[in-house]
Amino acid sequence: MATINLSSLQASSPSLRFLSSYSPQNTLHASFYSPSSSSLSFPSVSLKLPNTLRFRPRSLIIGAAAKALSETELVPVPLTAEEFSTQLPSDSGVYAVYDKNDELQFIGISRNIAASVYSHLKSVPDQCSSVKVGVVDQPDKTALTEAWKSWMEEHIKATGKVPPGNESGNATWIRQPPKKKADLRLTPGRHVQLTVPLEELIDRLVKENKVVAFIKGSRSAPMCGFSQRVVGILENQGVDYESVDVLDEEYNSGLRETLKKYSNWPTFPQIFVNGELVGGCDILMSMHEKGELASLFKK
Amino acid sequence: MGKVTKEQVESTLQSKLNPSHLEVIDTSGGCGASFEIEIVSEQFEGKRLLERHRLVNGALVEEMKEIHALSIKKAATPDQWRQQQESEKSASNAA
Repeated sequence: MATINLSSLQASSPSLRFLSSYSPQNTLHASFYSPSSSSLSFPSVSLKLPNTLRFRPRSLIIGAAAKALSETELVPVPLTAEEFSTQLPSDSGVYAVYDKNDELQFIGISRNIAASVYSHLKSVPDQCSSVKVGVVDQPDKTALTEAWKSWMEEHIKATGKVPPGNESGNATWIRQPPKKKADLRLTPGRHVQLTVPLEELIDRLVKENKVVAFIKGSRSAPMCGFSQRVVGILENQGVDYESVDVLDEEYNSGLRETLKKYSNWPTFPQIFVNGELVGGCDILMSMHEKGELASLFKK
Repeated sequence: MGKVTKEQVESTLQSKLNPSHLEVIDTSGGCGASFEIEIVSEQFEGKRLLERHRLVNGALVEEMKEIHALSIKKAATPDQWRQQQESEKSASNAA
């Protein structure tokens, strides 16, 4: 095999699959391997950039984003979560995972390299011996994809092979779409006569579950910006929480009015921890910004 | 009550919470009346953020019936406010 043009391969041949694209509207063939806890923090990524980077013309960034694969240092994969955060960057970029024989297994892109490699280590420890990392400065999707492509092309040129983990049908390295928890329902349906007042159901629900978010819409598709932000923060904290859709008239009929009285709080979303109202979106955001949430959820 | 105006929100908060600083921003959009509030009041002294928000929500109980979204960006005591202003000032001086 001489040279392979990657872009034509991607477009025409089914033999190479660029990660998995589980979202149907994803036309780029690229999806980020990022654990749910980090995927929601995207908007903050650009904010961390120094001023000088922000206004750099785009043409300078692409292609110069990461060093060539061959020029990038191969480092051993750390073994504990603590070492990960100190030894690998939590930035966006491209990474290549090698097994113990220094055989390249997989090239991926991520919004949080350390977190992605850590997840690989947990799922396929025997194939994660060392790693090459290329941080991409201005990590928009195009730049990341370019960086990924250039590493892939370089590897294919050098070896004539696609990394096994990037081959079509190999699901070892690809995160399955996270199974979102279902929203809780307060009642069996609005046709069923309740034997217990709704207020008591709410009371039990918030006391029996550590963290409960009453939101507009479902947790997978919040219907209002404030609810969306709250879901984002909770996922970002990696906290195990229950959600209740206050707009669900079938299973949570009457919830909005009853909950407002129960909590003496006029708006949604509402977040309860250990049976106590923490507040709405503003309060959660403010606590999030001050870093007070972790200790709240630990209680 | 028709559509709640920024002036209504301001005057209600002014009379009920006697704020030393009050800023109401009308962010009404497609969904209906919507406001962002920054408020500094002595009545917040010794109260948790939750209770401060409750005070604001309580003051606006009538207006809330017509308001789609109320975002309380800041609910500070005069002391906190002064400290914040000062730290912002020194931050901007340093920059």
